[in-house]
Amino acid sequence: MTRSTFLKWLIGIFGVTAVAGVIYPVLRFLKPPPAVSGAIGQVVNVGAVTSFPDGQLTAVTVNGQPAAIHNVGGKVTVYSLICTHLGCVVGIAGDAFKCPCHGSQFADTGAVTHGPATLPLPTYHSQTQNGAVLVGPIDLSGAAYPAWYKGEFS
Amino acid sequence: MSANAGPLPQLPSDAKRRKPGLIGWVVNRLGMDDTMEDQYNRVVPAHASNYIYCFGGIALVLFVILAATGIMLAIYYQPTPDTAYQSVLNISTHVQFGWWIRSIHRWSAGGMVLLVFLHMLRVFFTGAYKKPRELNWVTGVFLLLITMGFGFTGYLLPWDQKAYWATKVGTDIAGSVPGLGHFLLISLRGGEQISAATLGRFFDLHVLVLPAIIVILLLGHFFMIRRHGISGRL
Repeated sequence: MTRSTFLKWLIGIFGVTAVAGVIYPVLRFLKPPPAVSGAIGQVVNVGAVTSFPDGQLTAVTVNGQPAAIHNVGGKVTVYSLICTHLGCVVGIAGDAFKCPCHGSQFADTGAVTHGPATLPLPTYHSQTQNGAVLVGPIDLSGAAYPAWYKGEFS
Repeated sequence: MSANAGPLPQLPSDAKRRKPGLIGWVVNRLGMDDTMEDQYNRVVPAHASNYIYCFGGIALVLFVILAATGIMLAIYYQPTPDTAYQSVLNISTHVQFGWWIRSIHRWSAGGMVLLVFLHMLRVFFTGAYKKPRELNWVTGVFLLLITMGFGFTGYLLPWDQKAYWATKVGTDIAGSVPGLGHFLLISLRGGEQISAATLGRFFDLHVLVLPAIIVILLLGHFFMIRRHGISGRL
């Protein structure tokens, strides 16, 4: 192989790699994205009741959204962790909720214990079936939630 | 001419100048041999072999990238108040390589404004706007304004808080023009307030009106640089 053929090959390989590097992402981009696993509102199984320690709050994900399970002697309540103040993700602090953004606090019943939030954390429709916790759509009937907050769940 | 001069050099016959291959075929059909030859044989003056002479070309490359990525983003973007933000979020989080395409578009946009401005500074400080190139300077000024128009209209499209308030302030400034102000303001906003009409108008400007104008002006800009050649050294 002469130096000139070698260089031609080298340039060709670089060229093909560069073109492929552009075409591949573009083709992937054009392909419609797969449906998000667990569309919002779909019933999901978040695990066995026994996997949530009694009397404690445990963080889970419901259809890609942050939530917390409160297990009281097998009776399960599922709260959304989206703050009713401005939509931050609320953290679990012991047996209460605390928002890192503006300091809103909620009791383990979802009720506001400290502002600036004024509305309680909403709960998900949920039930236990054969020992598994099934979580359904959000229940926003508990308070007059603003439109942007409802939008977080649609 | 002396009588001893040898035979005249043989001009290449048409047959000899015929180029092979597909491009050659097209060039031959269109009788563009001379035109192409002229383009190939352009010599870049030595003083122009400097990075500051690249700014305009880089701005053009960025424009091409912006056009390509913009066309792709328009596939998933939805210009209505209810869906605009969600569709942008969808591009960035669900569409495969969507974050990549959108980031390229965004950074190229900033880069193009910067490079167009640097290009203007280069032209100014090397005196390249002087006779006979005044008209090219004038098209360049419009190209700068259109580039900024792209930035302004594109900024609203994600329809988030930043976009909303930037557009509020920007259109308020247009509204402060004496006499014409209120007309400009309602023309841009499509009403007294920023609404779905504003988003529709800005989207139309960003993807249809401004691209059409910029392409026409760019063609004029490049025609003139070819006609005049690169300006002389300082």
